[in-house]
Amino acid sequence: MPTFTQEAIATKKKKDIKLVGVDVYIITDKGIPKFADGEYGPFKCEFISNRGTKVWPGFVSPDLLMVNWYRCRFMATRDVQDADVNAFMDTLTRKGWWWSAAQKLWNYDGEAGYSKAY
Amino acid sequence: MAKHVVTMIPGEGTGPEICEAVRMVIDASGVDIQWEYEEIGLDCLEKYGTLLPDKTVQSIAKNKVALKGPTTTPIGTGHKSANVTLRKVFDLYANVRPVRLIPALKRPWDKLDIINFRENTEDSYAAIEHMVSDEVAQCLKVITWPGSYRIADFALKWARDNGRKKVYCVHKANIMKMTDGLFLEAFRAAAKKYPDIETGDIIVDNCAMQLVRNPGQFDCLVLPNLYGDILTDLCAGLMGGLGFAPGANVGDNCAIFEAVHGSAPKYAGMKKVNPSAVLISGVMMLRWLNEKDAADRIERAMYQVLEEGKTVTYDVGGTAKTDEYAQAIIDKMRAARK
Repeated sequence: MPTFTQEAIATKKKKDIKLVGVDVYIITDKGIPKFADGEYGPFKCEFISNRGTKVWPGFVSPDLLMVNWYRCRFMATRDVQDADVNAFMDTLTRKGWWWSAAQKLWNYDGEAGYSKAY
Repeated sequence: MAKHVVTMIPGEGTGPEICEAVRMVIDASGVDIQWEYEEIGLDCLEKYGTLLPDKTVQSIAKNKVALKGPTTTPIGTGHKSANVTLRKVFDLYANVRPVRLIPALKRPWDKLDIINFRENTEDSYAAIEHMVSDEVAQCLKVITWPGSYRIADFALKWARDNGRKKVYCVHKANIMKMTDGLFLEAFRAAAKKYPDIETGDIIVDNCAMQLVRNPGQFDCLVLPNLYGDILTDLCAGLMGGLGFAPGANVGDNCAIFEAVHGSAPKYAGMKKVNPSAVLISGVMMLRWLNEKDAADRIERAMYQVLEEGKTVTYDVGGTAKTDEYAQAIIDKMRAARK
C-alpha cells in the first residue's frame, strides 16, 4: 500500500521545458530603467513592472506609487540556452545595472510558466 | 451643470438591474448627480478586445469617482481581472469595507461595527508568479514600506475623521518576519502621528478566531492584501452575507465604490437580487461627495424597509423584485420628508 507521499510522487508528469526569457529584478533610484534594443544579445525587454503594475511601455499614472525595485521582463528573440542567460546577466552587470535576482522564464509543454503584469 | 458627475459602471450579470435600482434611489434623494454610463467586463472583451475599455478609464480619470456594479472574472483563462486592473491603473490602494449590524438581519452579535482597511495593490497580488520547475509554482509576496505606510496612515486618518477610537494592524509577522514585519513596522511608524487613536496589532489567525467569537471588540482593522481579502469576507458573513457588504476602492485622487459580491449571472434579467450592497456602497459614495444628509436619509429608509420586511428580496425572506425594493425605499424617504 503506497503512502500518500509515494502516490503523490507517482502522479508527477514530466513536461517539455523550453527557455524563453528572463525576469530580472533591478534596483535603481533613477526611475524606470531603459534598455536599448540590440545591446543585450538575444534578449529584448518586453515590459517593466513596479509592485506588479506595468510601468513600461505605455501610460503610467503620475500618481502611481513606485519603489526602487523593478521587474524587467526580457524575452528571447531566438532559441537560447542557459549560457546565453549567463552572458546576458554579465552584460547587465557590465552596463552598471544592479540586480537583486533573476528568474528564467520557461514554457512547459508550450504553455507560459510565468504571469504577466497588470 | 450638475453638482457631481459620477461614472456609472453597471457591470455584468445582475449588475445593470441592481445599478438601475440604486440610481433610482440616489436620484430620488435629491442629490444633483449626472451619471456617465460606461462599460466593463466580458462583453467588452468581445466588443473591444479588452475587459476594460480605454473610454471607461478616461471617464473615471476625469470624474475621479465611480459607482460600479459586479463583474465576472474569467477563471484560469489568462485574462486579468478588470477589477484588479482598475485598482492598479488608478492606484486605488485602500479597500474600505465597513460591516455593521443591520437591524432586520437577525444576527447573534450584540455589537458589530468594524471598518476594514485592506491594502489593495501589493502583497501576493502583485502578479509575480512563476513555474520555477515543472513541479513547483512560486508567487512573490511583495510588501513595501511606502505601500504599507500609506494604508496605515489612510486608515488612521479615516478613523480620526469619523470618530473611531481604535485601529489594529493585522499581520503574521511572527512567521513572515520580513514582509509582515515591514507592514507592522510601517503601521507603528504611521501611528505615531495619531496619539489620540488607540493602536495595536493582532496576529491574523487569532484575529479570525476573535472575529467569530466576539466581533464587538474590534473597531478598525488594517490588513495586507491577502489577509484583507479573506477576513473582509468573513466580516461580511458576520453581518449576514455579501448581499449587504459595501466597499470602496480609494486612492489619493480617485475613488470607486462597489459591492463585493459577484454578478450572479444565473439571475440576470430576473430582477430578483438584493441591490443593498451596491446601494450601501452608493451611500458611502455620497458621504465621500460630502452629501451626508442624503446618505443618512437613504440609509434610514433602507433600514425601515428591511425592518418592516414587507417589500424585501428573496434572500431576506421576501418576494419583492429588485426595483420594487428600491421603490419601497424611495417611498419611505419621501414619507419621512412630509
